[in-house]
Amino acid sequence: MSENPFEVFIEDMENEEVYLRVNAMHRVRIICTLIGVENIRSQLIPYFDSLLDKEEDEVLFAMAEELGNIAELMPDQSKLLLNLLEKLVSFDETVVREQAVNSITVVCEYLSDPEIVNIIVPMWLRLAQNEDNFICKISAVSLMSSIYGRAGCQKENMRQEFAELCKEETLMVRRAVASKIGEIAQEMEKTYVIAQLLQVVKELCYNEQDTIRQLCSMSLMNIARVLNSQEIKANILPLIILQAEDKSWKVRMSLAQILADVAQILGQEIADFQLIPIFTNLLKDCQSDVRVEAVKSLLRFIKLISRERVYLIIGNIQQLTEDPIAQVKQNICEVIGQVANLLPKQQSQNQLRKCLFQLMSDENWEVRRNAIKAMGVFAIAIEFEELNKLIPHLKRCMNDPKWRVRKETIQTIIQLALQLKQLDIFIEHLEEVFVLFLRDRAAEVRSIGLSSLCELISVYKQEWALGNLLKKCIEILEKDGGSLFRINALYAIQQICFAIEGPQIETNLWPIVQKYLKDPIPNIRFVSLKVAKSFLKKIGNQNISIQIRQSIYGMFEDPDRDVKFYAQEALQY
Amino acid sequence: MQNRTANSKQTATGRQQAQPNPTTQQPRAPPQMVQNMARVTDPKHVPKDIRDQFLKKIHFCSQPYDFNDDTKNVKEKQERSQYLQELFDLLKEPNFVTNLVVPHLDLIIEMIEKNIFRPLPILKKTATNGEIGMEDDDQLIDPAWTHLQPVYEYFLQLIVNEQPDVKSLKIFITHSFIQEFLELFDSEEPREREYLKNILHRLYAKLVPRRKMIRKAINDCFYTLIHETYKFNGAAELLDILASIISGFAVPLREEHVIFFKTVIIPLHKVQTCQFYHEQLLRCSMLFLSKDPTLATFLVEGLLRYWPFANSAKEVMFLNELLEVLEVCEISKLEPLIPKLFKRLIKCIAGPHLQVADRAMCFFENDYFLTILKSYKPFTFPLLVPVIAQIADTHWHKVLQESLNALKTILKEIDYQAFDKALNTKDPKYLYIIQDAKNQKKDRQKIEEKWKNLTKQALQKNPNFKEPVVPYSDTHIVGEHNGLNNGNITIL
Repeated sequence: MSENPFEVFIEDMENEEVYLRVNAMHRVRIICTLIGVENIRSQLIPYFDSLLDKEEDEVLFAMAEELGNIAELMPDQSKLLLNLLEKLVSFDETVVREQAVNSITVVCEYLSDPEIVNIIVPMWLRLAQNEDNFICKISAVSLMSSIYGRAGCQKENMRQEFAELCKEETLMVRRAVASKIGEIAQEMEKTYVIAQLLQVVKELCYNEQDTIRQLCSMSLMNIARVLNSQEIKANILPLIILQAEDKSWKVRMSLAQILADVAQILGQEIADFQLIPIFTNLLKDCQSDVRVEAVKSLLRFIKLISRERVYLIIGNIQQLTEDPIAQVKQNICEVIGQVANLLPKQQSQNQLRKCLFQLMSDENWEVRRNAIKAMGVFAIAIEFEELNKLIPHLKRCMNDPKWRVRKETIQTIIQLALQLKQLDIFIEHLEEVFVLFLRDRAAEVRSIGLSSLCELISVYKQEWALGNLLKKCIEILEKDGGSLFRINALYAIQQICFAIEGPQIETNLWPIVQKYLKDPIPNIRFVSLKVAKSFLKKIGNQNISIQIRQSIYGMFEDPDRDVKFYAQEALQY
Repeated sequence: MQNRTANSKQTATGRQQAQPNPTTQQPRAPPQMVQNMARVTDPKHVPKDIRDQFLKKIHFCSQPYDFNDDTKNVKEKQERSQYLQELFDLLKEPNFVTNLVVPHLDLIIEMIEKNIFRPLPILKKTATNGEIGMEDDDQLIDPAWTHLQPVYEYFLQLIVNEQPDVKSLKIFITHSFIQEFLELFDSEEPREREYLKNILHRLYAKLVPRRKMIRKAINDCFYTLIHETYKFNGAAELLDILASIISGFAVPLREEHVIFFKTVIIPLHKVQTCQFYHEQLLRCSMLFLSKDPTLATFLVEGLLRYWPFANSAKEVMFLNELLEVLEVCEISKLEPLIPKLFKRLIKCIAGPHLQVADRAMCFFENDYFLTILKSYKPFTFPLLVPVIAQIADTHWHKVLQESLNALKTILKEIDYQAFDKALNTKDPKYLYIIQDAKNQKKDRQKIEEKWKNLTKQALQKNPNFKEPVVPYSDTHIVGEHNGLNNGNITIL
């Protein structure tokens, strides 16, 4: 059986449901592959044309996208699609129009240079000169960058027309120019970038509409990509300074968002001498949203400037730790942690440690969480100096009412412990805060602590595991009322067992667990069973092994159904 | 508790608005300047010292201060308020307006610009209560408002005043002035928008030669709302102004106005924040239709095209508007829209939202609508009867079930034979509208099978063929495919 592919498509396209028509439209690729170029020209394109007036935007959006895909299927003949696409780029629904612009760009890739000059450029000029529909002009602006580079003898013509577009009064067109001019600069010859585009962008930077000035930030940055440092200093830098002092916070904010990228493009020298003052001003901005964005860019910026100039920003960082807005503080934490790596040890210790301590006791829990994370990085950067001062803070954080803070704290403690690698210092300072995880109220915190044990034991050896750690576990198992904590202690013992050898398990661990196989609480018996089962896998001694099996066997008649089941299962191994 | 404080705040401001100048009611020593002016015998020649004083005060009021911080420049701010009050009082003396204010309009407008043209602040809610989409009773207050209000009041009175004539004012009301002025309509402060509305309205009334320019700037504002930002706080206020502009349009409408109706008024319906200005939009639409009833079909088409998705409150609004607009439509012109219209109504009636269904049922209580229904009987009966009959039996809500049964009776009364014929059709074509997803899937199986076959053939023909991903399937999110996740969408 063979269906006529085109008919199947039509059948679906006549469905009442829009979503099915959208689906069908996306499958048109299948049809095109099967019916071939000739039928696409004679059947499909006229059919599409008839849809333009009556279809829903969703379907037309799909059509605009698929036209680009169809072009891929018929690279030599893709110009056949341009007529439809030209109509779609003048559609007033933004997403349809943008999609059609993209598809024209795709089609252009398959066209030869003469075709661009003879077909595409005239089309572009029609769009740019359409006085009735400003949407065509917007599309023309969006298409400029993908066409201009190959416009050959028409380049002059296009530049002139673009100059006209830049003078357009409709705000929508101006905004399009402001947002696309950076891309266009990438394609244009440098002399014209300097002669024409810079003038336009300068005027836009002085436009009274803040939305337009806002779009200029990104465009300025992109134009800078094609200029050398001399040209940047003369043309771009003054405009960036203008933006940094803009009366609208929206403009300052959009500059703050990209200032690190700007620094990268403008180069270290300009960053060192001209951008640092701009940045410090944005960090002190009276609008909190600007400060937040500036702080988010800060770390990348600091990494771009010379190390010896980092100190210029330290004052700002210290100030920001006292910012009234929590979001600012949340973001400054990471910066402080990372900056410690860039500064001389002594300096960071003196200036930044106090800031972090303060942030660790902030009233906003997200600030506290980020501060703790940063503290981990910081402590490693200053090579654990004066670790004792940190311990009270870590202790407080391990008792934080928010479990996410405690989660971050235990993770930080684990990181520190793994880096430290000195048993005596570990026992002296970190151990006491580390073991707090055993009795944490949040399962997440407990399980993170548990999962770190193996690695920690491999660093601090089994003497520690069977000594201090085991002692702590036993303490909890014996004295603690909460079954969850006792279960956790049992799991900790299981982790210890994974890290040590059979004989030690026999003498040190088994006697403890044996006791809890008879605990009155079923869940404890249940977990003890699990732990005992892990012992079986590692123990070499026949006698002990038999002893364990017998104990488990004794639980076959346990009153609790789950314990009973698990006991039977454990012995099948 | 919070509501109560908000309300009391509002009533307080309401009072303030009603009496914009409470100070005049209190016995108060006449301000220095008015006092000085009183001794001027010949108003045509204002003494230099008075003129200087006047200019000094204008200049002083043009200084920018940080109004968000009450602790800064306390003294200057007090002085400023006093000067503004004096300047305001001056507007009551026609002689001085002519001889002092009008010659210095440039400085006065500059003073106004320096005060009101500012980057709009973000007003943050202190409490983060309130669900998404809930209307917040708590109004946001711009701390700078108390300092801005006198400037607005001054501007308003300046325009209301008869002395400054069109010629002298016109020079200052440029395109860029209007553009910046319109930007301010996005302010979150409702009292500010109220002033802006009144001022713009009067400017439009007064400056006849600037009308076209003002309309164009308003157009641009709406284009931005429709195509780019999807949110504009002052849309309702601008539409209020438009309503009175539209009532002044001459009949027949000029082409420019018809284009405006088609490219602004109709697309405004599709914006997500439509609820905030729908009342005003409806008024504008109806005014247009009263001038030119032939536009009604375009509006019906637009409404059906931009029908809300997953927003029942908006659906109810659309239904209200649709019925109102239909009453203006010429029945013969509706023909191409009939299938879409009736299918939409059936979907609303069969839909899960009771209020929407109820509103849609109201259509059948409207005589004009019933006439439309009768005029297109060959289409409407086969569509309506089987569907209505089925949901009348199965609907979950008793009241709606009753009105569905009543509707059945109405349809039967209209044409008993056509009703019976439609009811007894073996395979009703339109029942699928109320079908559940499972059955629809079953119906799709045959054609899906065909697609699978075609895909296989395509793969045979071209081994590099990439199978297309369809957006609407059970496995992924449509938002990733409809181009709407471009960061511009505001979630209300």
